[in-house]
Amino acid sequence: MTESNPSLPRRDFLKLGSASLGALALGQFVPPAAAQAARAAGVLDADGDGYIPTMCEMCVWRCGVLARVEKGRVVKLEGNPAHPHSGGRLCARGQSGLMTTYDPDRVLTPLIRVGPRGGGQFRQASWQEALDLVAEKMLAIKEQYGPQAMIFSSTHNLSQVQFENLLNAYGSPNYGTQRSLCFNAMVTAFSLTYGVEEPARVYDNVKFVMLIGRNLMEAISTSETAALMEAVARGAKLVVLDPRFTKTAAKAHEWIPIRPGTDSAFLLAMIHVIVAEELGDCEFVKRYVVGCDGLLDAMASYTPEWAEGITGVAADTIRRLAREFAAAKEQALIHPGWRTSNFINSFQTERAIAALNAIVGNVLHPGGCLVAENPEASGVPLGKPPQPPYPRISAMRLDGVPWKYPLVPLKLGVFQEMRDAILRGKPYPARGWFISRQNPVLTIPERRKTLEAMGKLDFIVVVDVILNDTAWYADVVLPEASYLERYDPLMGIQGKVFVRQPVIEPQGQARSALWIYKQLGERLGLGDYFQYEDEEDYLSQQLAPLGLDLETLRRVGHLEVHAEREEAEELRFNTPSGKIEVYSETLERAGFSPWPTWDPPPEPAPGEFYLLTGKVGQHTQTATQNNRFLHQVEDPPRLWLHPEPAEARGLQTGDLARVTSPIGEVVVPVLVTQAIRPDCVFLTPGYGHLSKGLRVAYGHGVSDSDLHVTYTDPVSGGQALSQTFVTVEKA
Amino acid sequence: MSPMAEKKRYAFVIDVARCIDCRACLVACRAENQVPIPHTRIWVKDLGVQGEFPRLERTFVPYNCMHCDEPPCVDACPTGATYKDPETGLVLIDQEACIGCGLCVEACPYDARYIDPQRGVADKCTACAHRLERGEQPACVATCLGGSRLFGDLNDPESEVSIALREAESVQRLVGDQVDPEPNIYYINADVLQAGLLPRPPRSPAAAEIWRKVAVPAVLTGIGLSFAAQAGAFAKQLIEGEEEFEE
Repeated sequence: MTESNPSLPRRDFLKLGSASLGALALGQFVPPAAAQAARAAGVLDADGDGYIPTMCEMCVWRCGVLARVEKGRVVKLEGNPAHPHSGGRLCARGQSGLMTTYDPDRVLTPLIRVGPRGGGQFRQASWQEALDLVAEKMLAIKEQYGPQAMIFSSTHNLSQVQFENLLNAYGSPNYGTQRSLCFNAMVTAFSLTYGVEEPARVYDNVKFVMLIGRNLMEAISTSETAALMEAVARGAKLVVLDPRFTKTAAKAHEWIPIRPGTDSAFLLAMIHVIVAEELGDCEFVKRYVVGCDGLLDAMASYTPEWAEGITGVAADTIRRLAREFAAAKEQALIHPGWRTSNFINSFQTERAIAALNAIVGNVLHPGGCLVAENPEASGVPLGKPPQPPYPRISAMRLDGVPWKYPLVPLKLGVFQEMRDAILRGKPYPARGWFISRQNPVLTIPERRKTLEAMGKLDFIVVVDVILNDTAWYADVVLPEASYLERYDPLMGIQGKVFVRQPVIEPQGQARSALWIYKQLGERLGLGDYFQYEDEEDYLSQQLAPLGLDLETLRRVGHLEVHAEREEAEELRFNTPSGKIEVYSETLERAGFSPWPTWDPPPEPAPGEFYLLTGKVGQHTQTATQNNRFLHQVEDPPRLWLHPEPAEARGLQTGDLARVTSPIGEVVVPVLVTQAIRPDCVFLTPGYGHLSKGLRVAYGHGVSDSDLHVTYTDPVSGGQALSQTFVTVEKA
Repeated sequence: MSPMAEKKRYAFVIDVARCIDCRACLVACRAENQVPIPHTRIWVKDLGVQGEFPRLERTFVPYNCMHCDEPPCVDACPTGATYKDPETGLVLIDQEACIGCGLCVEACPYDARYIDPQRGVADKCTACAHRLERGEQPACVATCLGGSRLFGDLNDPESEVSIALREAESVQRLVGDQVDPEPNIYYINADVLQAGLLPRPPRSPAAAEIWRKVAVPAVLTGIGLSFAAQAGAFAKQLIEGEEEFEE
């Protein structure tokens, strides 16, 4: 049995030095022997075979996993039936996870760049050397320019809490996350309206579901996707608004190919109908919703006839759907969406969704299908290691929060604006970038600018399991253990605590984020912020206040937490008024409309198309295209084009088209399909990798970051990813 | 309980409307059975976007070996390696006895078999027989997000598949006018007969027949029928060498 894939020496593009492999002078911090511990915990038999419970990380949904291990090798992953996110199932990505772990292109030793940046020339280094170098550079930047000159980026992983610890202890305000490219609009709108970032959706009794671009059958969240399919099979009505006929639309009773950017006009007209016809549960709702009284006047001009002219959806259809939605009352659901970074008015779309769910009482009635609670707010009071208070941070943030974007939550930020600030060198020059498992080179619009911005930095360090495109341009790459090889901080969900634990030994020199951040922290003189001996000690400190022990948790994968939950006497929301704020004074004070409102977005000129993005069910963002299992089951990346414009341009399926936007052009094969509006094109997301360290993904497809123009929603800071207009011609 | 009642009649039931084409089943099967890239034991046929914008439909039809009751692959196999298991109804391959001649691949009317290039043997869906022995569902069924794939024993009236068939509004099997191998995948609540998956007639029957009926039996008879299985294994070794399958 080979434990590891010694891929690095095989790579001709890596000019490897003769650095000592495995020369760890860090003996006191050896990773736990996974197999040995698992045997001790009773989950593996004497032969080393068995199932170890852990958690998936092929996307951010974090399904419970049972990993089948045979003789030190993980051979199959199953959904853990006891985990609410998997319900015993895993999607294609989850099933493919062992191939991510055993990817022949894994980075298994620290790398230090030796050639020009982006040239892909690295040498292997010991952890000692790599960590010393990173710490030395970070200390020099702090000394010379102040901690704010260092940017930190990581998004949505379980080790985030310790990543944030590192950034806060170091003292930088510059936290750049992927979120403004994803869900800023949803989170900002629901935080302002309900006081909760992401309300929970409940499908048990749902009778009417409306999805506004939430493509649940392709942008898969295992338990939610399964729950929606169950609901539809049970007879719930599914209405899908999307300019594309997605696989979700294919399961819908009604597909409405609405004009892009006009969702909020459609939804405002629905509010108009419900209020004007008094279909809402007004007397009941009034007690909990600010703005019930003025809503009729505020929505007066948003008639279905008005919306028809904007959306292209017949007034009668809007009226009918408003009535159907209201009639289903708390058994109705308009989904809040997720990646809601579409237009500069996407915040208003989200506000209208929040308002609609409120006025039919959906969020208020017990048993309603939308719950104003974050599904991950678990009521599990996990402990943490002791640490001193963080240094006071006085420098302004590069991304304009809050001085330019007053309502964007600090932990979301405006990633694309941060990139532009690096380029401008204002309000001050950035010098270094610490990036953990993110790939801004492929995700932020205008890739050319992102590469240019990186060129202005003195030092870039990337933590990842593979040599992603951003790592390709880094000075130091620190190899993280894959999610099947490491512990991460615990996760509380629905009154239970779940563990991600190693099911196999880390391959090569790969190490957990918990280990890496601690090692760095100590070298940065911040050891007091990392008071844990090792990963197991960190987890034990988390469990301490719950009176639970790690051994039991390791064996079972999750434990019940007997936490007292206070039952509030009166329904209260975490907003300034304690009520749902359909009318928001906070918005008004910040200079925005206090009501959900119509902000017309720009439209394409004749001959131009909306460039749409989205998700496919077989990949996660830009992270999985190198996974050989997923590569086998993917549809080849293409540009979707309606037959009408295709014929006018002499394009047939498989022909190459040149797609030109204001900032760049790509050449890509076309898929001629009825499944898209004639004024739109859709480019399969996630491709166009630049890193030659990804031998499957490199050179495959094109990246929409070569086409996307940077447009930012002024309220939520969300990037408007569907607002780039392109021309298409035969290449 | 009589011996007859203990025998199982395993079958797949597929609710087409619930398939979302997520392809979790495809990856699960590859991982579970170490199916070498680019081969596969399992498919989801996309019937494509049908209709005129905006009145569109799109249907996905999952399939794999249909574990037929009259399996042409069993008839075609010269060594008896492919057989219908009388205890379970599954069509299985004794890969020790398989000589990799490929006749079963040609004979399968659903093109559900392939020759594993590394091992030089025929391969296909086993309904994860090794998982069934552990009391687990086939990998594709266990992970099916939409709940489209069901699997179980039709001899058990209380099995999930029996109940699904009883409650179905419609039941179809992929059989043609000319070819009906009595497949054991039952499609419920959807018309799949236009899916382009109907069983095809055997390919180049003349050549195959000569091989099956004359050449291979001649060799085997020469060696001695009682050693047929060993001869098959020997022939396989000659052709493929002793290389064991490794991922």
